[in-house]
Amino acid sequence: MLDFIALQAGFDLLFADASTWLIVIPGILIGLLFGAVPGLQISMAMAIFLPMTLYMDFMQAMLFLTAIFTGGSFGGGIPAILMNIPGTSSSIATAFDGYPMARKGQHNLALGIALGASTLSVIFGYFILLFLVKPISELVLKMGPAEMSIIVIWGIILIASLSGQHVMKGMIAGFFGLLLGTVGYGEAGVTRGTFGITYLLDGIPAIPAMMGMFAASELFRLVDTRYLVDDSAARKVSISKIFSGFKSVIRYPWVMLRGSLIGLLVGAVPGVGSSIANLLSYIQTKRNDPDPDSFGKGNPTGVMASEAANSSSEAGSMATLLALGIPGGGATAVMLAAFSMHNITGGPQFIREQTDIVYAIIFANFGQAFLLIILGLMFIPVLANVVKVPMHYLIPSVLALATFGSFGLTGNLSGPITVLIFALIGWVFKRYNFSVAAAVIGILLGSMAEESLIYSYQISGGQWSYLLERPFAILMLIMLMFSLFGGHLVTLLTNKVKTNV
Amino acid sequence: MDAKKTHFLADLFVTFTIAGIVTWYLVDAYKASSHIINLILVLPLSLMVLALCIVEIIKQIKNKDEPIEKPEPVITAVPVICLFTLYIASLAWLGFDVGTSLFIAAFLWLHGERRIIWVLGYAIVFGFLVALFFSAMLPYQMPMLVLPG
Repeated sequence: MLDFIALQAGFDLLFADASTWLIVIPGILIGLLFGAVPGLQISMAMAIFLPMTLYMDFMQAMLFLTAIFTGGSFGGGIPAILMNIPGTSSSIATAFDGYPMARKGQHNLALGIALGASTLSVIFGYFILLFLVKPISELVLKMGPAEMSIIVIWGIILIASLSGQHVMKGMIAGFFGLLLGTVGYGEAGVTRGTFGITYLLDGIPAIPAMMGMFAASELFRLVDTRYLVDDSAARKVSISKIFSGFKSVIRYPWVMLRGSLIGLLVGAVPGVGSSIANLLSYIQTKRNDPDPDSFGKGNPTGVMASEAANSSSEAGSMATLLALGIPGGGATAVMLAAFSMHNITGGPQFIREQTDIVYAIIFANFGQAFLLIILGLMFIPVLANVVKVPMHYLIPSVLALATFGSFGLTGNLSGPITVLIFALIGWVFKRYNFSVAAAVIGILLGSMAEESLIYSYQISGGQWSYLLERPFAILMLIMLMFSLFGGHLVTLLTNKVKTNV
Repeated sequence: MDAKKTHFLADLFVTFTIAGIVTWYLVDAYKASSHIINLILVLPLSLMVLALCIVEIIKQIKNKDEPIEKPEPVITAVPVICLFTLYIASLAWLGFDVGTSLFIAAFLWLHGERRIIWVLGYAIVFGFLVALFFSAMLPYQMPMLVLPG
């Protein structure tokens, strides 16, 4: 499993020159900043700084880019906790319990937990990758469009099931979101639902829509609130509490292990990856918790589950990139560009012939995770002061930041307009208990669900029997059914056994 | 009309609106092309949403006398929504620098901040600094009135 000669060579590559590591600290800080500022994306940071890597050797370039990736993965959770704005789509589930925790005055704890879960799961994810980079990539190759379609539908149904007594409204919101995600120029070469607006040809800008639905709509509801945290005593920034949150993740090894494994495996699937991984991990943790009703109201394990999954999904997406040369998302696509800038092609041949570089990248990420702990513990106390800002200053500032960020994503005013429209939709949805999270996931994954279905149709020639030839798809369908009806089935069986006894 | 009845009617209206938008989208997609590739997801999904909306509407009518969680009053959010709409609408003319400063100043004033130095100081510093930061970071031109885009 391990090639010890390559391992030694990997170490040599990393530690032969200390200057290689000098690039990591600015990388993590850039990632933290871009992740923490709503609207700035990790992939954007990597793309902006990609030209700099031309002047570095390949190892240094990889270290720099993966440092941005690692810092950004955690950074996205910070606004999710403090402002209910997931910095990236992979931090959506972090906001579910992180933000209620912040509103209860447990912002220090929540940020500490997020840091702990992120760093430990990065280490765990890359540790597994060290041994299983090849099997994981082979597993990814088994995921065809049929499996992708099932994953998307599964994600929507699972997220709708979080809506408590309003599951039906959750499903309506999720499927409505999926439909919105298909607006624009379709695979059949025709445009749908654009009202003739050229901005909509590429579809509804998903991240600005997410910012509007999550953040702006929530801020509209908080207009009458004086502070994010009502209790003035609870507004303190406490390094000891942040550290205690950081340490607390060790007390929940199963939550961490489950989250990290889900993140690693689902994160390896190109496209869906981390956006779904954090939700799946969150939902599984909620299901297995003795008090599932406490989720969504500030349960620390919710933050842990989400952050563990989205951080380890980085390792998953790197597995796909290194072993197959397929980028799983924007960030790994930039890395692929760095590969080609240095005349390197990812794929089975790369793994076979340049195993030392693969090992060096993996080891570099261990080092980055430790550096992230130190930098995160220095960075978080500064950011946590957000809870001390009066809401009448915070609301317009965050709304303005979301507007700037959305412009940054689209490059024109369609971004800010999308934020406004979806803020209104989100406000109405929240008011009448339609799941905002399900709608957002739908918008994010709509076009991918359609593409996957079309490819499945084209491959199968419209024959349903095609599904029977795909054991993975069948397994996923069974899991989907079980997640829908499993709980009821277990209750029914338990009641029957009790009656018989 | 009491608050509960208003909420019930508004809830119904939202569900009907979603059903209406979905129906319009389905018709628009069908008009664009009735080929299976175009409708492979849109058709089944739209039918599913419509079916769920019908069931939800029946459920809402059946449960209309059940107690509801009282939502926050609409009136508090309306001025902020209007102000935010004005801000977004004015960006093309006022630019991100001046537009943002004015939006923040108006918001602060609307919410009881009367220390004029604070209102203007914070609004201008925040608006211009953030505009500068983003214009430096983004690879494309931003609409600005004072600062270079």
